[in-house]
Amino acid sequence: MDDVVETKPREDRFRILVCIDGSDESYQCLRYAAKLGGGVDADIVLLYVRPLDQGLRSGGLEVSVARENMLKWGLELPGIKYLKKGRDILIEMGIMGDDWDEKSTNTSVEGDPLGDNKIEYIEETGKEVVLKLKVAADVATGILEQWGLGPYDIIILGSSGRRRGIAKSLWDPAVAEKVATHAPCSVLVARELDVGHGHLICTDGSDISMDTVRKDAYLASRCECPVSLISVALDHEGEADARRHVEEAEKELASIGIEVQETIVKIGNPVDQIVEAGPDYSVIVVSDTSKTGLQRFFQGSIAYKVMQESFTSVMIVR
Amino acid sequence: MFRPRISLDPAAKLLRLHQLRDKTWIKPANLRQGVVVVGRQLNLIYFWEKKWFFIAMAIGVLMLNLPLPDDLSQGAMAVLTMSVVATILFITEPVPLPTVALMIIIAEVILLGLDSTQVAKTLMTDSVLFIMGSLMLAVAVVKQKLDKRIAWLLVRITGTKTSRICFGISVTSGILASFIGEHTVAAMMLPVGITLITLTSDDPRKVRNLAAVILFSIAYGASVAGIGTPSGGARNAIMIGYWKEFFYNPTDPESYHFLVDYMKWMMYAYPMFLVQLPFVTLILLMTFRPEYRDLSRAVVKLRAQVEEEGPMKRGDWMAIFLFFLTLIGWIFWSGDYGMGTIAILGAAGFLVTGLVRWDDINSGVNWGVVLLYAAAISLGVEMKVSGAAQWVAAHFMTLLTPLGADQGFGLWAAVSLLTTFVTNTMSNGAAVAVLGPIVLKLAVVANESPIVIGFITAISSAFAYLTVVGTPACTIVYASGYLKTTDFLTVGWKMVLMSTIIMLLAASVYWPLLGV
Repeated sequence: MDDVVETKPREDRFRILVCIDGSDESYQCLRYAAKLGGGVDADIVLLYVRPLDQGLRSGGLEVSVARENMLKWGLELPGIKYLKKGRDILIEMGIMGDDWDEKSTNTSVEGDPLGDNKIEYIEETGKEVVLKLKVAADVATGILEQWGLGPYDIIILGSSGRRRGIAKSLWDPAVAEKVATHAPCSVLVARELDVGHGHLICTDGSDISMDTVRKDAYLASRCECPVSLISVALDHEGEADARRHVEEAEKELASIGIEVQETIVKIGNPVDQIVEAGPDYSVIVVSDTSKTGLQRFFQGSIAYKVMQESFTSVMIVR
Repeated sequence: MFRPRISLDPAAKLLRLHQLRDKTWIKPANLRQGVVVVGRQLNLIYFWEKKWFFIAMAIGVLMLNLPLPDDLSQGAMAVLTMSVVATILFITEPVPLPTVALMIIIAEVILLGLDSTQVAKTLMTDSVLFIMGSLMLAVAVVKQKLDKRIAWLLVRITGTKTSRICFGISVTSGILASFIGEHTVAAMMLPVGITLITLTSDDPRKVRNLAAVILFSIAYGASVAGIGTPSGGARNAIMIGYWKEFFYNPTDPESYHFLVDYMKWMMYAYPMFLVQLPFVTLILLMTFRPEYRDLSRAVVKLRAQVEEEGPMKRGDWMAIFLFFLTLIGWIFWSGDYGMGTIAILGAAGFLVTGLVRWDDINSGVNWGVVLLYAAAISLGVEMKVSGAAQWVAAHFMTLLTPLGADQGFGLWAAVSLLTTFVTNTMSNGAAVAVLGPIVLKLAVVANESPIVIGFITAISSAFAYLTVVGTPACTIVYASGYLKTTDFLTVGWKMVLMSTIIMLLAASVYWPLLGV
């Protein structure tokens, strides 16, 4: 409850949730988040999700017994080190100062005696960086629960790989897929995220994709990244339409003062063409079709196929 | 025109971003709308998350409505259905696992038409009592802080070379785990291992391989030892219970050898554990190649840290005395009083002497596990009574015959392979509870010794080296945050291969010497 009360007044701020797991990929995500959240109007929350200690898998002896034993030895909870390293990176990048006010909070969690732990660093301007060690049944659930405590404008997390078959996805959806499916805000799934190459926004002329173009233009402005547009026609007959779509999007961006670096029109399978064009950019930006998990499974969705197939980072905009 | 790549001064940029946000971005009100959308989708999300529950239920309904094979009774089909549904739920875990136990109990009453009191009676056996008592003892032992004493002894004996320390950790973890269970040892040794790692380097990436070797020495050292004695793991107690339930007949002296006591189990399995120990260290060192060959710095600091504890206190000696008394009870009197009685006597001893509080035991034991094993054993007994186990065994045998795996070495290897596969997908106790009735009947059909097949099943169920959830020790060391799930695969297959070869050698060379 405390979390909800604390975050409510911050709804008008640009809030970024970065998921940290100690991997290089997650720190790349953090560096990107630092670019997005550099202004005083933005908060960055670093999240590490620790699986709920439960005894069924540990033969009936609660893992908490082992955990308490570790704490008695003066050992830190897993994740604390990774979060602190993230904080040091932000200090190094000049996003936060080492003299900011610090406040620690512990929230009890049912089923885990050690609960959630949070350290908030607050600047005089109101800018906030938070290290959050959260306990949840699984990582994806933890991230989604944290969104509920936010809310956040964007969730950034790394993905371990691409190409997971339907069978594997049905069996155990990857964390990134699960978060991208269920999160109500935009989600950036990072793969070898390199900040300097700009955003490639996909448009098909629909209202939803035009919204995406506008929203991503805002994000690109935050990190000072160039913006390019792509539209894919299924065949030569559709080429003129595709060209019209990028031109409309370009015009729309011009109307809000943003210059487009490049426009691309391709012909063929949209997923293949977008994935092929992706490596020249930092992020491929696609719109969420608002389909639910089941609808997406049965009907398919270009956005999710791009996310699964791409070598590049993909942002699903909502 | 605004060009995103050209930097403005911070104030101008902020103003510009605010203007842009107003034109393009989601406002808090819209975010709340998003929450409403999520709320609308909640039901679908619920079904998606629980999909395996509904798939399992659909399979159950389908099986119950299939035409009955000629040689299978309606009751046996119902038990078979329950087993299939329970197995799917054990593996996929769409609902908390104790829920599966509750569903088994309900199904036994409703689908099999058994009397509720009769079902309740099948839930509490000596094996279940033993599992319960062992878990209480585990918490009591961990709470004694004997880990620092063990760490002190360990580094004194092994010296400072990494390889010797790792072997020492495996031996210590193994010997302790063989008597007090792998979860207890993993919980006690984990801080020792992590302290050694953190005292070597604060940066986890600089000690990545060292951490893997040390933590796996704890987990695998304890896992290979879990087979050593009945108190090494719940699976052993479950198999002992099945032998008695399936084959023991008080009026037939020929069947008395199916009463396997603590000592008899040790004679079969303990040497196997000892043979595996050096291979554990060898495999780990060859797979991970630690960054530091000598841990002098860490060992010196650890010694200093441990020595702060001072000399052994009266409570420490009392805890050791009580534990040895329980161990002696298991070895010499378990045949007369049952292993379960002695386990709870030991737990009662710790409570009476005030060495542990009931609150600690209550919060440290996951009672759902006790319920789960109780229901799984009860279902296993119904598999036998209804004839379902016999039916599955006979049909499984027809599959094995063309492969030449219907007897002897081939059958042992097939049973071991099947158990290893199942145990890597669910807890090893549940694997033995599910497979036990089938493989024991398989032994009867194949005219093989149920004792040998039973041992192969119980021992193979410890070969869950491939996944985090496979063995309790693996789950606990994974909680340290130093290991990746892929590490378990990288080294686990080598462990499975080594353990399987040693077990099959024991079955063909050593066990015949014991008169099987």
